Amino acid sequence: METTGETAAIGWGEQTSTTVITWRQIVWRRFRRHKMAMFGAIMLVLLVGYCFGGALFVSEEYANHTDTSLVLQPPSREHPFGTDTVGRDIMARTIYGGQVSVLIGLSAAIIEVVAGVLIGALAGYYGGLVDGILMRFTEAMFTIPQLFLLLVMAKFFAGKIPTVELLGRTFSGSVIVIVAIIGLTSWMYLARIVRADFLSLKEREFILAAHTIGTRNLAIIGRHILPNTMAPIIVAATLGVANAILSEAYISFLGLGVQQPTATWGNMLQTASSGFHKIQNAPWFWFFPGMLIVLTVMSINFLGDGLRDALDPTTVT
Amino acid sequence: MTRYIIRRLLQAIPLLFFISVILFVLMRSSSDPVATMGGRRVMRPEDRERLSRQLGLDQPLYVQYLYWLIGNDWTAIDVDGDGVAETPGTQRGVLRGEFGKSLVVRGEQAMDIIMERVPRTLLLMIPAEFVIILFSLVVGIFSALRQYSIADNVITAVSFVGYSMPIFFIALVSMYLFAVKFKEWGLPYLPTVGMFDPQMGKTPSQVMLHMVLPIFSIAFISIAGYSRYVRSQMLETMHQDYIRTARAKGLQESAVVFLHALKNASLPLVTIIGLDIPLLLAGAVVTETIFSWPGMGLLFIEHVSRGDVPVVMGILMLISVAVVLFQLLTDVTYAWLDPRIRYE
Amino acid sequence: MRSFVSKLLIATVVLSLLAVSLAACGATPEPQVVEKVVKETVIVEGTPEVVEKVVTEVVETEVEVEKVVTATPEPTNKIVTFAWTQEPDSMNWVYSNMWFSSILQQLFHCWAWEFDDQNLPFPRLVTEIPSMENGGLSEDGLVITMHLRDDIVWSDGTPITGEDFVFTYDMIMDPANAVASVYPYDYIASVEAPDAQTVVVTFSEPFAPWQSLLWRGVMPKHILEPVFEADGTIDEAEWNRAPTVGCGPYNFAEWESGSYMRFVKNPNYWAGEANIDEIYLQFVPDDASQTAALIAGDADLGTFPPISDVPILEAGDVKVMVQSSGYEEGWFFNFRDMASPGAKDVVVRQAIAMAIDREAINQDLLLGLTKPVETLWDPIAAAGYVSPDIEPWPYDPEAAKQMLDDAGYVDSDGDGIREDLDGNPLTLIHGTTIREIRQDNQAVTQQYLREVGIDLQILSYDSDLFFGSYSDGSPAALGEIDIMEWSDSTAFPDPDQNYWLCSELPTDENPWGYNYFGCDEQLDALFQAQITTIDSEERVAIIQEITKYMHDQVYWLGMWDDPDMWIVGPRLTNVTFSGVTPFYSIIDWDVVE
Repeated sequence: METTGETAAIGWGEQTSTTVITWRQIVWRRFRRHKMAMFGAIMLVLLVGYCFGGALFVSEEYANHTDTSLVLQPPSREHPFGTDTVGRDIMARTIYGGQVSVLIGLSAAIIEVVAGVLIGALAGYYGGLVDGILMRFTEAMFTIPQLFLLLVMAKFFAGKIPTVELLGRTFSGSVIVIVAIIGLTSWMYLARIVRADFLSLKEREFILAAHTIGTRNLAIIGRHILPNTMAPIIVAATLGVANAILSEAYISFLGLGVQQPTATWGNMLQTASSGFHKIQNAPWFWFFPGMLIVLTVMSINFLGDGLRDALDPTTVT
Repeated sequence: MTRYIIRRLLQAIPLLFFISVILFVLMRSSSDPVATMGGRRVMRPEDRERLSRQLGLDQPLYVQYLYWLIGNDWTAIDVDGDGVAETPGTQRGVLRGEFGKSLVVRGEQAMDIIMERVPRTLLLMIPAEFVIILFSLVVGIFSALRQYSIADNVITAVSFVGYSMPIFFIALVSMYLFAVKFKEWGLPYLPTVGMFDPQMGKTPSQVMLHMVLPIFSIAFISIAGYSRYVRSQMLETMHQDYIRTARAKGLQESAVVFLHALKNASLPLVTIIGLDIPLLLAGAVVTETIFSWPGMGLLFIEHVSRGDVPVVMGILMLISVAVVLFQLLTDVTYAWLDPRIRYE
Repeated sequence: MRSFVSKLLIATVVLSLLAVSLAACGATPEPQVVEKVVKETVIVEGTPEVVEKVVTEVVETEVEVEKVVTATPEPTNKIVTFAWTQEPDSMNWVYSNMWFSSILQQLFHCWAWEFDDQNLPFPRLVTEIPSMENGGLSEDGLVITMHLRDDIVWSDGTPITGEDFVFTYDMIMDPANAVASVYPYDYIASVEAPDAQTVVVTFSEPFAPWQSLLWRGVMPKHILEPVFEADGTIDEAEWNRAPTVGCGPYNFAEWESGSYMRFVKNPNYWAGEANIDEIYLQFVPDDASQTAALIAGDADLGTFPPISDVPILEAGDVKVMVQSSGYEEGWFFNFRDMASPGAKDVVVRQAIAMAIDREAINQDLLLGLTKPVETLWDPIAAAGYVSPDIEPWPYDPEAAKQMLDDAGYVDSDGDGIREDLDGNPLTLIHGTTIREIRQDNQAVTQQYLREVGIDLQILSYDSDLFFGSYSDGSPAALGEIDIMEWSDSTAFPDPDQNYWLCSELPTDENPWGYNYFGCDEQLDALFQAQITTIDSEERVAIIQEITKYMHDQVYWLGMWDDPDMWIVGPRLTNVTFSGVTPFYSIIDWDVVE
């Protein structure tokens, strides 16, 4: 399906001015027509700008600055989102928390894609015993609902990794744990899809041709089959980010996610649900992190939906 | 078909075995059930050592797994700490239907504790599933029939918002709105947490009243997702040639929709819903925590943090078995409903 | 087409039937054995025929009448509801150390002696508290002789005798019973009952804390001995989950797991008749619903409300009653070899003590409901044991900075954190459980310490990992945490404390040791001395010396006191609590409508 961008018109010179468009351009055009996807993309840019750009206006120290005399203040000019149980500014915490949430989402999605593609490709390409073992393993992981796996694995890795410093910020070690376990418990779906694609593609003639001229297996996997399965991988990666952000929110809510003082949108919601007083009298406490999660995940879902339609012309919206 | 079912069931056995090993190792290595037995104070070493021995926690991991699987009544255990195993064990093991004694609720069998709570979770999940199926179909079909209209766009937008939400956010918002705020504004309001009101007793009407918000929270997200799926399936089906033929024949629109399109559009839905049921059990964890519904999910959370391996493993194995069975059930139902599919 | 629709219909019908039957399963309560007011109506192992007949009668009527009874109580019945946020794991006190279970003991059970609102002992089953004056305690402190009252009976009429005490001791010490703790019964050489009204306890060495630790309950021999003989253990006895035979002002009636527990007045109670007829223990799912229940009047008593809910409760006519129970929240410092150099230096610890504004923390985070404390010995409940020479550490960050400067800790690289003479940054690791108030405290204190140039790294763990053992790799046991925060007490009301014994350091030879803090020879000698000193004046002097020494060395830094907090609704009157046996006066509580 890949078309090259060069005019291969021998002998025509400049008589024909066919505008040859690349596959990428086709995809982009279809994507642009998808209003929701564009909306989602813009929304995401704004949100990422809020999280990372906002950090230019508000220092991390300010986000962690506690002032016990300002506990649970409602939104005001000084603190547009109010303050939390130790007097920290909630808006600043959503900025830095957002950074962590987004980073977790991206990193977990990367792990998920790498694991899923690797396992799916190997299983689909080699078949036989390799396929059997890998698929049994996938099925086993698939059978246990992700949340339970996450909870048990979070407990297993609890407290084993110390704080890390990355990109000028200090994170609790639990961030790494969360990224790893989310990534390691969500690859199964992608592995199945990739395997199915590989199974069908490896019988095609151009692959047989590659075999004939002696291309090595890894090259066939990496350079011939894989690029043709990019569509579901891209979609899965995009939606994987959304799922990872949601998963992090779920386990932080249950208390086994990212530990204090590193803020994430998820664990800000955890503290919000304890105490009658907070649900009833301090709704700002849970509302803002919650809305931000919803907006981010929603935008990513729009984006993913748009990508799916743009990449695969046979679906009807 | 029968051979297919039997083959699937046989394949499930090594799968479940494998799962149990992974989970057991993870659970036992990450928690210390004896640590929290001291109540508010730290346990004394003499007591810790004694309890570890009496509860069989000082054995090597593979021995503990073995006892969990096939029991220890065929061997002797050392109860009085003199290094000599003299008392016959009393555990019968998972393969004989016993998950062991709970380490948190002393003296009770894990199976009894779990089984007491399972009906309560099902009480929430099964009606929720019905609501989900019903509304997904209704909303999805409506949306498909009125494609690109305002109603369709609104529904699509709300759907996207819906399945982007974490369930606890919806729960919090709905709790805040329908329970707290409605009460403030003097409107008839819904209760917040629990399965029934203490003073009113555990009457069916109380329970049903308390079921409304949890089911609403669970269903909202799933309906948002599935209605879109139904919609896209319906649209795909409606564009098929045989539908055009039916219309050309002069068949009424409602017959076209319900008799022809729906039938074919709903088949993949069966698959998805069949696979969803065990996931609802997982979703129970969060829902029950928020609404403090005393079901299996809440039991899991409470006992995981205290390292109660028999109960936690019991719940996990129950869910795994449910997943495997439902996958099989779904495949069989799919074949039953769709005459084109045949398994051998 | 027809067949498809019909198949779909069949599937739907089957599923609905399944759902309905399961829903029906879950919704209807299972009828249990229910106590009715007049007679003992319990099916108990080994009781005479007569009792059983009465039982069957009652059970039949129970099923019909049940709904009516629970919905509309008779006007003369005084029913009180307690909101319980944790469900007990076992009702047998030897199997559970859970606070929510052990405090119920005074409702349906009895101790040899109990404690009042001043946390002083008063006799319950005994005629008088054994002491040296009345001959109950021998000169060498090894033999305790208890004289039991002759009118004490179990709720089924069987007299309580010394045999029950001997049986209790035997059951606790029997290796076939996986009891939660054998302390202090493993220090006892023998327990004998020379006659029905006398119990003689002989210790192998003088044991000073005996008064607060012994006989926190007695087991009924006539009920449990048959079980032990039949099963070889009492681990799974019915009585552990349904203690229908008790010796308190109330009888256990029923327990529906996950929902409620019910107690009814014991008409055979030998100490008189209680005012309240029924106590209904409602298991509420969380603190928020506990608060809601109390404000709405659906519950009359609650425990440990979240601090932020206290103003709402008080506005709703609910009283907050605070009772010292010896628990304090504090920082335990690790001065073992593997601790960070900062934690091992007394200067650093003292600087830390002065760098934190503990008053502000108590005022702002805890709404002034608690106060900072200086020692692990509660200044109210154990006032006599706290050395009068102790001066509270003031909040003086300037003095703290000065101390650190003088000791050679300077910030040489300008990152805001001081380094020691070897160039290592002054970093301490702080660990605690995941409770919200502790995490908040971590954030706040981290900031205070940063202001004086100390870097506090904060970690939090699930309780079972935090309190886990050396062999399980718990970070606290391994010495990886420099400052551990949790709430603990002595063997209240006794001042005994054995966390700092050098013999309790966890090592490969002693993997169960719980001295996570360190070995100080001087302190170790003092702690060992106090446990065998029977003479009270001498012992008080030793404890006072301990408190002063620990305070000066800052081995333990108090954050706030952690009293029992009760929330009492307006319906209840005449309510008093004890820090040791909270419901000691339940018989006097009353209800106003």
